[in-house]
Amino acid sequence: MRDILWIVQNTLRVTFRKKKNILLYLFMPLIGIFIALMAYGGDQKMILHVGVVNQDKAEITADTIQFLAGLENVKITELEAGQVQEEIVSGKLDSVITFEKGYSDSVLAGRPDHIQLTSIKGAQVTGFVKSYLYQYIDNISTISRAADGNQQTFQQMYQDYQQSSFQLSTHSLADTSRNKNMTTQTIGFLIMIMLISASNLSEIILLEKEKRTYFRLLSTPINARKYLLANVLVNMLVMTVQVAVTLTIMKSVFHIGLNMSYWEAAVVMLLFSMIAVGLSLVLISFSKSRSAANALQNLIITPTVMLSGCFWPVEVMPTTLQKIANFLPQRWTLDTLTKLQEGHAFSELSLNLLILFAFAAAFFLIAVYKFSRNKTTENFV
Amino acid sequence: MNVLEIKNVTKKFADFIAVDNMSLAVAEGEIFGFLGANGAGKSTTINMIAGLLRCNDGIISILGKNSAKHSRFAKMNLGMVPQDLAIYEDMTAYENVKFFAGLYGLRGAELHDLVVEALEFVGLQDKHKSYPNSFSGGMKRRLNIACAIAHRPKLIIMDEPTVGIDPQSRNYILNSVKKLNEMGCTIIYTSHYMEEVEEICSRIAIIDHGKIIAEGTKEQLKSLITNTKDLWIEVKSSENLNIQAIKEIPGVEAVSIEEYFIKINSDTGVNNLNKIIEHLINNGIEIRGLQEKAPNLETVFLTLTGRNLRDQ
Repeated sequence: MRDILWIVQNTLRVTFRKKKNILLYLFMPLIGIFIALMAYGGDQKMILHVGVVNQDKAEITADTIQFLAGLENVKITELEAGQVQEEIVSGKLDSVITFEKGYSDSVLAGRPDHIQLTSIKGAQVTGFVKSYLYQYIDNISTISRAADGNQQTFQQMYQDYQQSSFQLSTHSLADTSRNKNMTTQTIGFLIMIMLISASNLSEIILLEKEKRTYFRLLSTPINARKYLLANVLVNMLVMTVQVAVTLTIMKSVFHIGLNMSYWEAAVVMLLFSMIAVGLSLVLISFSKSRSAANALQNLIITPTVMLSGCFWPVEVMPTTLQKIANFLPQRWTLDTLTKLQEGHAFSELSLNLLILFAFAAAFFLIAVYKFSRNKTTENFV
Repeated sequence: MNVLEIKNVTKKFADFIAVDNMSLAVAEGEIFGFLGANGAGKSTTINMIAGLLRCNDGIISILGKNSAKHSRFAKMNLGMVPQDLAIYEDMTAYENVKFFAGLYGLRGAELHDLVVEALEFVGLQDKHKSYPNSFSGGMKRRLNIACAIAHRPKLIIMDEPTVGIDPQSRNYILNSVKKLNEMGCTIIYTSHYMEEVEEICSRIAIIDHGKIIAEGTKEQLKSLITNTKDLWIEVKSSENLNIQAIKEIPGVEAVSIEEYFIKINSDTGVNNLNKIIEHLINNGIEIRGLQEKAPNLETVFLTLTGRNLRDQ
């Protein structure tokens, strides 16, 4: 074990002496966080800028405008009719509501009319205002119909409505979907970086063979098994740091809620790191040179990462591709994390964890088998 | 005591027999030379001694212990100077030697002292902080040696340690080999440079087609061919020379060409000088000089194997 640790220590020292490796192995995983922040971040509390043109000047119209102004996410600006087009086109206002003359009377008559909503931003903007405004107008119309034309009764009911003793209090609910999306995006990117890191670190084996230091190493008390184990340890150490740094920075610096425990996420990702090391060893065992290994890496890693939903949800892909994704370890890793986010206990996910273990074991076995078959003169003499 | 014993060792690669029932013993304190053309089985033998290859048959013992069964013991007592430079370009000279010496379990002050000693031995102490990419070919070769000797092995295998370097570095390395031997190391030395082997090796084995075809001191090897003599004929040009035709002249054992010299190994009992000269003149080859020399190691090799050491 002492000599294995000696190789691990030396490999880490030589690897991290190069600044580009520090960037690649430690800072690259954080890029996923920035991408997620750009994609899903920003102020969630959207303020709608609504212009109001009051051509009616009646009490009910004034009350309606006041109601709109009282809405939490709406900012009201009073305008003249001539300003509407300019304000809308310039984008200063999201929409403009014009209360034409006769609006108040139409509401009182129980047939609301003479109100216009102008916007060029579509239902995304108008839907919110419409839903609140129409409900308010409908209430007043209903009161009017209930008063059946009696002005005094209407006034009484209308005042009671305005000064109603019950109060509606609103509470904003946290949007967990945003955090879930950001976590998935970040972890997806981390998965890709882990696969690339593992391949690069395993490529050291091929580099040592090409530079012939591998054969000198084998003439010392180190044997091929110990050397391979040292490489796996280096890989696992680097990926443990990548996982820890990414999750910690996500949680503590950017305050992105994982929607699962830190340790559960870390365990799943460390399980994936075993898969990444296993896969990288398979790629190396099938390559005779670093260029061949790089070509295999490009052929395998990038497409599988895309297929498995690391960059976008698998649900947006055709059914056939979704079925293919089920054969990829990245998919099962993301699926396990999603289930944890949905509130499943770790113990309920034994099938997922078993499948992840199976992937890791299968990759390691293939690599070991292939390495043991590689004892040709070309490799050793 | 024998530091190395090889008994009936065979190594096959599929149908090809690289080493064929080879046996030899290297005693403590020897510089043992391995001579063989490319593909003769020399490197395979060395790789089996170093533990890089397993033999199909036979036993290799290092310091009296079967190296297959006591692999760690064998490797702890062995230092390997490979033919290809096996050093890390992104580690300083000191770090290179320290890393390899550390694989033998050395740590702390002892490790530091041995690394410094090894670097001093190969004359690289003042370059200990430099990276190999700033070294000349000779300096890299010396560092290659330092990496193999820092842990003070009893047996050092040097596989072509002087390939592609300047004469000054070559002399330095040859003197280092002698010094290591004086310090008590047993050395197995292979080289394509016959004069190196002749200069430093106390015993030599000639390997051909996976077998040792001759073994002994250089004098013993030369005595194997006392019935032959070497004729060195200096010519203006050897362009029109038909080697096969000369070989057919009675008494001629072997012919080789080295720049402007035609080297003919011939039976001392046959007077064929006139026929050789006549053949050369008839073929328009201008003779500039002629001398008869006692056979050297190269002649021995050529006579025994029928091929030049540098033949592919």
